[in-house]
Amino acid sequence: MISTFKTTIASLAASTILATSAFAGELVINTDTSDPAPKAAFEQLIADFEAANPDITVKWNLFDHEGYKTSIRNFLTADAPDLANWYAGNRMLPYVNAGLFEDVSDVWEENGLNESLASAAGSMTIDGKKWGVPYTYYQWGVYYRKDIFEANGIEVPTNWDEFKAAGATLTAAGVTPITIGTKYLWTAGGVFDYLNLRTNGYEFHMALTKGEVEWTDQRVVDTMNNWKELIDAGFFLDNHTSYSWQEALAPMVAGDAAMYVMGNFAVAPLREAGLTDDQLGFFQFPVINPDVPLAEEAPTDTLHIPANASNKEDARKFLAFLASAEAQTKINETLGQLPINKDSTVGDDKFLQAGYAMLSSTDGGIAQFFDRDAPAEMAKIGMEGFQEFMVKPDRLDAILTRLEKTRLRVYK
Amino acid sequence: MFPTPIERRSAALQRMYKTALPFAMILWLLPLIAVALTSIRSAGDITAGNYWGWPTSFNLIQNYSDIFTNTPLGSYMWNSVRVTIPTVIGTLALSCMSGFALAVYKFKGNMLVFFMFVAGNFVPFQILMVPVRDLTLQMGLYNSVTGLALFHIAFQTGFCTLFMRNFIRSLPVELIEAARVEGVKEWRIFWFIILPLMRPAIAALAVLVFTFIWNDYFWATVLTQGAESQPVTAGLYSLNGQWVAAWHLVSAGSIVAALPPVAIFFLLQKHFIAGLTLGAVK
Repeated sequence: MISTFKTTIASLAASTILATSAFAGELVINTDTSDPAPKAAFEQLIADFEAANPDITVKWNLFDHEGYKTSIRNFLTADAPDLANWYAGNRMLPYVNAGLFEDVSDVWEENGLNESLASAAGSMTIDGKKWGVPYTYYQWGVYYRKDIFEANGIEVPTNWDEFKAAGATLTAAGVTPITIGTKYLWTAGGVFDYLNLRTNGYEFHMALTKGEVEWTDQRVVDTMNNWKELIDAGFFLDNHTSYSWQEALAPMVAGDAAMYVMGNFAVAPLREAGLTDDQLGFFQFPVINPDVPLAEEAPTDTLHIPANASNKEDARKFLAFLASAEAQTKINETLGQLPINKDSTVGDDKFLQAGYAMLSSTDGGIAQFFDRDAPAEMAKIGMEGFQEFMVKPDRLDAILTRLEKTRLRVYK
Repeated sequence: MFPTPIERRSAALQRMYKTALPFAMILWLLPLIAVALTSIRSAGDITAGNYWGWPTSFNLIQNYSDIFTNTPLGSYMWNSVRVTIPTVIGTLALSCMSGFALAVYKFKGNMLVFFMFVAGNFVPFQILMVPVRDLTLQMGLYNSVTGLALFHIAFQTGFCTLFMRNFIRSLPVELIEAARVEGVKEWRIFWFIILPLMRPAIAALAVLVFTFIWNDYFWATVLTQGAESQPVTAGLYSLNGQWVAAWHLVSAGSIVAALPPVAIFFLLQKHFIAGLTLGAVK
């Protein structure tokens, strides 16, 4: 009796193991694309993949954003799917170092991705190997109120002096040049990224976020001094520390502020709030140091194979499919973002077109974003420092000394 | 009688009272009014900074259908039900029995056990956070509705036992003694004599525990994550998008989430107040 009971338990356990682990021909994908548009984009992508590969069925687990950040650590080690989405650059570094992501350089080789996805190749490479396939990115830059610029006779500024002059004209007209909400810090990180990229260039910026350069370096001080010029000239919205990025949109909608250094996701809420494309424009962050090649910021979303995945063969097929020009065209049309494959077509939206034109001609390099390029702890303390600097620019020395201390501790 | 009832005060004072009352009420309800108003706004209104003004468009139906079609609010609500109902039933069943035992039987350590139940109520539950999380992890109950419900049952039983024990104590002992003389078995005394008399206490506690558990946020965030197990109080936050905080949807979700306890309160108001005062005065 007891033995039959034991076998029942054993077979029950065995069948549950079978049920949870993927059998051949089933591909398990975990993503955090739970917003309506990304969700629809993935639904479409998976349906297309299944149509092209009738012998493979996809099991798709959808997570919400916040939960995913902690869930991914659990499932990569304990119950790995065959594919999981994540982000390029330093955000994937901990998982690569921990041996949790699979090297997919072979997928890149076989499908010619080194050419077609060239613009994001750098941010997908660690130790000379590729660790995933990027499928979408979006540009950062300056979004501005075209009608306010025109009313004040301001041309789109292309260099630092024009930019400062434009700000002075706006201030004289009673308009805050740049709106920003630094309550959640990262917006200040975006401004710092651009100032540093324009002052010292991509190589230096990457060395800094990788912890190879001292924060007290003169070149960082130069960047901060450029920032200080803007702060002293009253460029930024008052009381910005009490607004989220979203609340800081309101002055721009109302016409009290004219520019926003932001990512392309700002366009949708601005349009919802009633701004037309005639009122809203986009320009590349102006040149500060003419000797530095222009680098841009374009955070990239990626798909990876966990090292513990069970169906890596089909997962590679999926990655190859995802990298194709048609798949990227389709997915980004739904997402309202930019495809990475250079043969894809870009959506018929003026901001997407502007971003595509800018990024595909970028030769200075593509940064991910301060909190993706720098390790989490450095990013947090760094961005707190930027926020403090924006309120009390005189404390520059103390702030940089603190960041330097953090660098010594974090990178070791 | 103190304070003097308002109808016995002077006419001037009565008038002042009548004009001040609506103002005070609106002032107190202002946050709720703001949430209700936000829940029918468009996303554009919020971006434009129109938080308090007249909405430019009324999206009542759109927002409230959005939260059910485009977000997992439905499954969050269902999780709340799956946590709350078993907790109410489990807690009441356990505390009726433990209350009965502690009130009726005289045994060694009766007082000790009773004081332990009472003392449990004085433990600030935040200090249990880490041990309870580790416990549920090791038991394989982390991130499950069962784990959350079991914890709530365990924690609420302390308070409910205190309540039930005192209630049974106030019943006439003669009822039990008479039954014993007739040779009625102990469990039949509990089932047929005590339990029917405890109905008001059970009703009062059910309402109270229901609102406690439904509104619990702390343990919901500590012990669960994700739409498959998280109750609505914790799940509301995930109605926000990746970049854009959809306050109109969060507001609509909050109102929907608040409906069950509010409905229960109004339906069973009598019991609710009884629950708060029962046993307070002899």
